[in-house]
Amino acid sequence: MSTPQADPMTKAGGRSNRIAEIFARQDVILLCVLIVMVAFFTIMNPLFFTSYALANILQDFAPVMLLAIGQTYVILTGGIDLSVGSALGLSGVTCAMTMRSMESGGSPVAATILVGLLVGVLTGLTVGLVNGFLITKAKLAPFIATLATLGAGAGLTLVITEGVQVAGGPTEVITIGNTTYLGVLTLPLILVLLVLGFLWLMLDQSRFGRWTYAVGSNTFAARGAGIPVKRHLVKVYALSGVLAGLAGVYVYFRLGSGSPTSGQGQELNAIAAAVIGGLALTGGSGKLSGTVLGALITTSVLSGLILIGVAPNWQQVVVGALIAGAVALQQVDFAELRKKVTHG
Amino acid sequence: MADEVIYEARGVSKTFGSVTALDAADLKVHACEIIGLVGDNGAGKSTLVKILSGAHQPTSGTLLLDGQERRWDSPADALEAGIETLYQDSGLCPDLSISANVYLGREILRPGLLGKLGLLDHKQMAVKAREGLEQAGIGVAGGSRSVSKLSGGQRQAVAIGRAITWARKLIILDEPTNHLGARQSAEVLHVMKRAKEQGLGVIFISHTLPHVLEATDRIVVLRLGKVIADAPTSTFTPDSLLKVITGLAGT
Ligand SMILES: Nc1ncnc2c1ncn2[C@@H]1O[C@H](COP(=O)(O)OP(=O)(O)O)[C@@H](O)[C@H]1O
Ligand SMILES: [Mg+2]
Repeated sequence: MSTPQADPMTKAGGRSNRIAEIFARQDVILLCVLIVMVAFFTIMNPLFFTSYALANILQDFAPVMLLAIGQTYVILTGGIDLSVGSALGLSGVTCAMTMRSMESGGSPVAATILVGLLVGVLTGLTVGLVNGFLITKAKLAPFIATLATLGAGAGLTLVITEGVQVAGGPTEVITIGNTTYLGVLTLPLILVLLVLGFLWLMLDQSRFGRWTYAVGSNTFAARGAGIPVKRHLVKVYALSGVLAGLAGVYVYFRLGSGSPTSGQGQELNAIAAAVIGGLALTGGSGKLSGTVLGALITTSVLSGLILIGVAPNWQQVVVGALIAGAVALQQVDFAELRKKVTHG
Repeated sequence: MADEVIYEARGVSKTFGSVTALDAADLKVHACEIIGLVGDNGAGKSTLVKILSGAHQPTSGTLLLDGQERRWDSPADALEAGIETLYQDSGLCPDLSISANVYLGREILRPGLLGKLGLLDHKQMAVKAREGLEQAGIGVAGGSRSVSKLSGGQRQAVAIGRAITWARKLIILDEPTNHLGARQSAEVLHVMKRAKEQGLGVIFISHTLPHVLEATDRIVVLRLGKVIADAPTSTFTPDSLLKVITGLAGT
């Protein structure tokens, strides 16, 4: 606890202070960063600012966004989910294998697609539930538990696919995944945006969201207030798993085949989106609006780098640097800094 | 003074590995009574509090509420039974607002379908939280402020206010006047006495012996996990109480 008497809120605030406050807001800063970045890439390569490139960025954005939403909930509870990339890969191939075998068995297309989707999502859910179980029952630290499922999930994906792409399945899949409306939107992308809207509302307005913040803000106080902390944590990791499953299905619809390596490194992108968006890794503080901007920044950087001719192998290096930079920036106490500047 | 026993711990022990934090402790709380629970650091006060509130399960011993043997699997069970606890140093979620903290775990949902979907009624919680805090004699303006922006004294006031708002039988305050100035401490004592007048039992833990002597009806002294004294406050003087706590007295 801090000093008992002083009240930090009653400081007088002039106009310049208010402007400073607006620019101290995380989302405003992020929006500026995004605009500067788009301008930079457009100057370097005008192709960047075309609806074709935008459609591509949005297609890359969707799975990262799904993983990053789950990551946001998890990080808000004070945890981390390293398994999401792995879960994406595993879900993508189980979905693809299900559809392939149903298709060759002569099932109707609609049923094939629905069952495939369900299998993909359930695969993600299973990974999430295993994480929740390891963390709340076996009492493993989230970092270790999800590192274990990252490894196990990636391994399992290679085992069941024998390391090769799962091609085949209904051709309608790739049509649905790539038919664009209004130049940039696809049906799966629209669904992702709906999921985003729903989970945004849930985080900001529902009891589930409130408990998510409370658990990360002070686990002991949350438990003391009667919140079933363990059950809530299991639900949050399950949600992250389901979203990874959806992301796997999304990637399958986009590519038309299940790639055993499609999830590799995706957890990095999701964590980057979340920490660039201002989420505190200690839990309890941050907003989904920040994560959305963080995911946009991450995916535009990746596309932009390719468009200006940077070799794809540099991508993970850049994402790693972004994560380190964003977390380092969080350590800077801007209020303290401003005080130092104004008081000489 | 009503002398009906509302809450009782019988022979409660707690061990952490080889450490015996609490050793066959007995404690009775009556309605309309403030008990002072005192003892040196590490005497086992917080451990007893956590057992009474369901945050820990006793290694042995029983708890009786209104004469009925009860077992709490989590704090939620004890809260449900009307026992409110302010834990030492960790009562609130700093990232949440004042009203969110007052209603934590007891959120009011919107009426109708939206409520069934789990959507919060922010407005009603804000209004009721302010009313509740005012009724408890605690005025903290700006219920939508994040608790992390409050001073230590204000936080403590909110935590106590929340406990008083919800307590139906018993309220347990573990070092509530820690970190508080003289005036704020006096307010806490006043709030405790009001809770007692409303028929609640109160357990008050403090190292500030003048506060304990002034506000309580009975004093229970813990030493190395054992209850070594349990007597009306009027039988103690500042000197004698200090001697009992430090183990220099016979009784
Ligand atoms: N969770 C725990 N694990 C291990 N030892 C504990 C734990 N909680 C308390 N203790 C030990 O139990 C004893 C009593 O502690 P506590 O109840 O906090 O005392 P008090 O509140 O009177 O200062 C101390 O020796 C303390 O180190
Ligand atoms: Mg203590």
